Amino acid sequence: MNIIVCYKFVPDPEDIIAKPDGSISFEQAEWVISEYDLMAIETAVQLVEAHGGKVMALSVGGSQLSNSKGKKDVLSRGPDELYLVIDDALSESDTHLTAQTLAAAIRKMGEFDLVICGEGSADLYFQQVGLQLGELLGLPTINAVSKVEVADGKLIVDRSLEDEVEVLETVLPAVISVTTDINQPRLPTMKEILKAGKKPITEWKLSDLELAGKAEKRIEVLNVRSPKQVDRKRIKITAKPDEAVQTLIGYLSKEGVL
Amino acid sequence: MAVKDLWVFSEKTSLQAELLAGARTLAEATGGGVAAIVVGDETSAKAALAQGADKVFWLGEKADKLVEDFVPTIAGLVQSHKPCALLIGASKRGKAVAGRLGAALDTTVITDVKKFFVEGDVIQASHLIFGGGAVRVEKSATETMIATFGLGIFEPLAADPSRQGEIIQVPFIEPKTRWTLRERKPKPPSTVNLAAAKKVVCPGRGLQKKEDLDMIFELAGLLEAEVGATRPLCEGLDWLPRERYIGVSGAFIKPDLYLGIGVSGQAQHTVGITESRVVVAINKDEEAPLFAQADYGIVGDLYAIVPELIKALKARK
Ligand SMILES: Cc1cc2nc3c(=O)[nH]c(=O)nc-3n(C[C@H](O)[C@H](O)[C@H](O)COP(=O)(O)OP(=O)(O)OC[C@H]3O[C@@H](n4cnc5c(N)ncnc54)[C@H](O)[C@@H]3O)c2cc1C
Ligand SMILES: Nc1ncnc2c1ncn2[C@@H]1O[C@H](COP(=O)(O)O)[C@@H](O)[C@H]1O
Repeated sequence: MNIIVCYKFVPDPEDIIAKPDGSISFEQAEWVISEYDLMAIETAVQLVEAHGGKVMALSVGGSQLSNSKGKKDVLSRGPDELYLVIDDALSESDTHLTAQTLAAAIRKMGEFDLVICGEGSADLYFQQVGLQLGELLGLPTINAVSKVEVADGKLIVDRSLEDEVEVLETVLPAVISVTTDINQPRLPTMKEILKAGKKPITEWKLSDLELAGKAEKRIEVLNVRSPKQVDRKRIKITAKPDEAVQTLIGYLSKEGVL
Repeated sequence: MAVKDLWVFSEKTSLQAELLAGARTLAEATGGGVAAIVVGDETSAKAALAQGADKVFWLGEKADKLVEDFVPTIAGLVQSHKPCALLIGASKRGKAVAGRLGAALDTTVITDVKKFFVEGDVIQASHLIFGGGAVRVEKSATETMIATFGLGIFEPLAADPSRQGEIIQVPFIEPKTRWTLRERKPKPPSTVNLAAAKKVVCPGRGLQKKEDLDMIFELAGLLEAEVGATRPLCEGLDWLPRERYIGVSGAFIKPDLYLGIGVSGQAQHTVGITESRVVVAINKDEEAPLFAQADYGIVGDLYAIVPELIKALKARK
């Protein structure tokens, strides 16, 4: 079976700097595969290991995606081919434009049985792209998938909701978004890292694709600010455990929280 | 804003009540009315009126359908009435409905809204991005803003069974795609209410094994605190149920005391504890970011500190 796995390339949230004027900057940030998309990639790789076929990784975004280390990183995690849509118009895309672009890319990529997305992107975490993509492709789509099985052209999933787990079935092709605990992604081996450099990569611009509508966003961002910081006392106690604990208890009883 | 009405949809009754209360407040600013979209029996349609809706679009009973199967029906309704906003409960199911609706209506969804307000005659929503590292204020570029809200954003109104309103029956539109439900496996109901806890003890990955939670629970017992956690302990390690994790994708807490034990203090987690009155950190790494966001911190090995703390608290009793 042919599986398309969608991953986002994001500035590492840990490298975000809050500036004194309250604005934020990620100019210093390293760009990485969105953490929870590693589980989506692993799901695709495991299914192909079990059923044969190939995994095509797909990402859309701004110029950061051309980063060769990033390309190698995703391919060393098991996908056989990489497809990228790189365009400045996508660098601050909303979920609508992202899903539209992914849908157009997928229509151009050809035959597939299953599209897998992650639970949510590490920067926006809207948990939306997979669902919007499924609807745009006119395919059955569902979120919160914590287990997948494929048999006789059918897809059977466990869907982990707040108060119950649903076991659902549909016919392929379909689009699913998987949870973060569906698997433990493996680390790339030296062999995979070496192989990664030789795998085929296809790069498109937006103008190479036929989007269903205009390449427009549906959300207008009015402002972005760092959340207000709370002033804390920042008293650090460095002492032997018993003394440190006594000091802490002293403080806490003064605060009236014991 | 052409039509000033606000609509609400949630398959969870308590969340529906909160959203209706939120919609009511906003409707005062827009000068519109409030409608609920309800899947269920006639009693639940009436309950939405009591919770604050002026009008109910009643889609009928769920029967053998999934809530998600009502997406084309809801999309049709939105298309013909064009409310200025559709507020959806941010359960997993709610997010699935919202996402598919967003795509079907050629728009998108603002998820996990923290603040919702009208400025001029524009509805704005704020929510967290970069794992809580930033707050972003947005507006919808289309006629109807679709947004999802978790629990605790709005205070529900007291149900008023005497409230009257119109109940409009809406015929079901068959979806193009379907999932067949094979089985439902209930999960044990959650008994924790972190949001209401006065004290919270929160272990992180500094804990080496599940059994070590025993000492955390013992400490929590002595402090009369609830046990929270960082996300990796609840997802991935599965040591504790999901309801216990604190942070951008988990619970937001406002206790008098938060005690983080072996917690590094990354934004995704700490954004959920900013409203704590006193924050305490225990970490062996002097550089752990949580220290900068704590009132008191002990630099040391939790396996030495926690037993000492238990001993000292017992001695005080
Ligand atoms: C989209 C997204 C959403 C997320 N949402 C959340 C969320 O809502 N909530 C959340 O918690 N996380 C969330 N995360 C995960 C988050 O990024 C961090 O990975 C997580 O909070 C770290 O948990 P931790 O502090 O327990 O572990 P670590 O970061 O591994 O920290 C462990 C700490 O324990 C200390 N330690 C180790 N041994 C000892 C010892 N013997 N004694 C004392 N100290 C010790 C270490 O010095 C270290 O500081 C999210 C991530 C993403 C990408
Ligand atoms: N720019 C992108 N390129 C490819 N896949 C994406 C992109 N953005 C989001 N996704 C996929 O959609 C999922 C949900 O993203 P989000 O709706 O932003 O939380 C992610 O986990 C990815 O699998």
